[in-house]
Amino acid sequence: MSFIDKYPFGKAPFALLVIAIVSVGLRIATARRHADRPDLVLVTHTDAHYAAYRKAIPRFEQEHGVKVQLQLVNWASLQARLQNAVLAGTETPDLAEMFESTLGYFTRGPAEDFGVMDLTDRLHRDGLYDRIVESRFSLWSARGRIYALPHDVHPLMLAYRTDLVAKLGIDISQLDTWDKFVEVGQRITRDADGDKVIDHYMIDLRFDGAWSLDALMWQRGGQFFDAQGNVAFATEDTAELIRWYILQARGPNKIAFDCGWGQSVGKAMTDGLVVFQWAPDWRSWVFEDEVPSLKGKMALMPLPAWKPGGRRTSVWGGTGLMIMKGTKNPELAWELAKFLYFDGPDQGKRFLATNIIPVLKDAWNLPELERPNPYWSNQPIGRMYAALAPETPAVYSSPVEAQARINLDLAYARSVDHFLKHGEAGLMEVIRANLAEGAAAVRRYADREHKLRVAQ
Amino acid sequence: MKVRHKGPAPYLFLSPYLFLTALFVIVPFINAIALAFYETNGPRSRAFVGLDNFRFLFNDTNFHAALFNTTIFALVSVCVQLPLAMGLALLLNGSGSRVRAIFRLIFFSPNLVGQVLVGILFSVLFTPRYGLIPRGLQALLHRGLEAQWLTDPDLIMPAIVMASLWLWVGFNMVYFLAALQTVDKSLEEAARIDGASPWQVFWHVTLPSIRHVVVFVVIMTVIGSYQLFELPITLLSESYGYGAKNAGLTLITYLNYNGFHSGDLGLGSAVGWVVALIIFTISLIQIRLARLTED
Repeated sequence: MSFIDKYPFGKAPFALLVIAIVSVGLRIATARRHADRPDLVLVTHTDAHYAAYRKAIPRFEQEHGVKVQLQLVNWASLQARLQNAVLAGTETPDLAEMFESTLGYFTRGPAEDFGVMDLTDRLHRDGLYDRIVESRFSLWSARGRIYALPHDVHPLMLAYRTDLVAKLGIDISQLDTWDKFVEVGQRITRDADGDKVIDHYMIDLRFDGAWSLDALMWQRGGQFFDAQGNVAFATEDTAELIRWYILQARGPNKIAFDCGWGQSVGKAMTDGLVVFQWAPDWRSWVFEDEVPSLKGKMALMPLPAWKPGGRRTSVWGGTGLMIMKGTKNPELAWELAKFLYFDGPDQGKRFLATNIIPVLKDAWNLPELERPNPYWSNQPIGRMYAALAPETPAVYSSPVEAQARINLDLAYARSVDHFLKHGEAGLMEVIRANLAEGAAAVRRYADREHKLRVAQ
Repeated sequence: MKVRHKGPAPYLFLSPYLFLTALFVIVPFINAIALAFYETNGPRSRAFVGLDNFRFLFNDTNFHAALFNTTIFALVSVCVQLPLAMGLALLLNGSGSRVRAIFRLIFFSPNLVGQVLVGILFSVLFTPRYGLIPRGLQALLHRGLEAQWLTDPDLIMPAIVMASLWLWVGFNMVYFLAALQTVDKSLEEAARIDGASPWQVFWHVTLPSIRHVVVFVVIMTVIGSYQLFELPITLLSESYGYGAKNAGLTLITYLNYNGFHSGDLGLGSAVGWVVALIIFTISLIQIRLARLTED
């Protein structure tokens, strides 16, 4: 008779008992491991950042006599987990890098609920505020305070193939306004071989608006929200932009094609389907990495301006470093943040590894930014991006930012419906009405959020 | 024979189950009812808003779009997906056991990879100019090469339906096939001898014999359709799962966005109750209808 047979309640309860004992044992073992937590935990979502920080952190550990744990987590998972951890009040890392437009999720409701530390006074105290491009604080500000260190500026340029541009007879120096750009675009966007398929499009524009519509709105000085957090996209200027966008993306003389995302963008460039692609500094590196066959054939140019002499850039993307309120070492976390983002010797190296220009204005004179880049026809792309950086528009954050993006795209899509049925007749009135309706919908969400602030 | 257990042992063994059920089912259920009357910022702060969450929902055009899209998807699922599944099951039912086993595996296999992977796969297949579907359409119909399946509001729902058909037809076919194999062959043979056409045999003999399975599959399909989430959120990830003109927005995507993305668990809970009520009502009607036809 085995031991199990002697157990009074049979085999199944015995198995349950064993599982219970093992579970408790595992819990205790895991709890012990928690006690070995390093002094700081930093989470990032980008491979390039992870690689750069892994190299830099040992020096920080040595200088401060501490242990820092670095983690790489997929950005979507990071956002969801961090947000849930903050809301539930469970353990969070000490520092976390997040993408633009995420701050709103951490700054909903009453200020005491914010899961992130207010860095405004520290930025002023350490003299960093004036050294950083001012417009970039807008991404990481809520109710007048700054909650993350901006990592980058991400000025926006256009990338093109020099051989294709030469073949099509395009003079880049003439493309200084969008009007001239469209004029050339209408000339080259055509079916030359008669197979009823367009051979070349001038530019990649999202079919549903989305990020390319947003970037153009920011270039014109438009905003989803103003600095005070009020809904601000339902303006005459945005209406004009939507009309322009509809004509270029959906009109009978359209010049744009939506290349989608990932490999299809590289394929469209290799095939010469689209002549101009959007290229913020981070994406210039993506092209180098994903389409190496175009090395030496690519070049960059500033965006055409909306008016002669106007702004020649916009922004796309952004990363910020937040210090979580739950950290037990706020000063040490602040020191690590400054070390990683603003340490002089590493700024140049990181630019060469990522093409992302530093957010510190005084780092734009580094020799690495002057270096010609063989992929981009030996253009000194660091200097080119840095020259545009002071012009980058502010992009204000809000807890209902996603709703604003959804509703701007909705206003655009509804206006497209009208255009496809009735052409340009009455189009502006319809766009204005759709924008007003979209803004009202966002305000309803904003009012709910505001009610929660007041109720506490 | 009646066995009487003495002492606390049975209750002791039941207690983990009862405790876990109370902790993870009963308490959340009660909490979810209460939560629907609050506006929240996660579980931390909340403000009592009475029926405001429901008022907000019924006035929100996004919610209207979500309800409309989900209902359309449910209708298409029942009217297109299930007849296709039944057709495939009938075809396989007449074939040899080895052929049946191979095709059953082939048709069922999309379900093994999961909705997220299917979403990613179809987002590649739908890529304008380069995807298999636009290329195939261009080759066959000389149009559709530049169709924007995932950003054109008119094409988003057809794209979701196509992906879901590939995913679910085989799954439902397995239910129908299993049911068809239990049908008394002598009844079908007798009907044929009496001169019934194949359609009459199916309608008057086969279908009534598998009625219970059909009702079950229809109910499960409607429930599954109203819970549609993974496919649209993967296919339309760049627009928060909403899609251009909210054309891909479903009730659960709306719930996910408001409850978890925005942290308003109160509004999310209200959406959850509305969805539960819709599913409950439709299921009840279906069961009643099935009973009526049985009578």
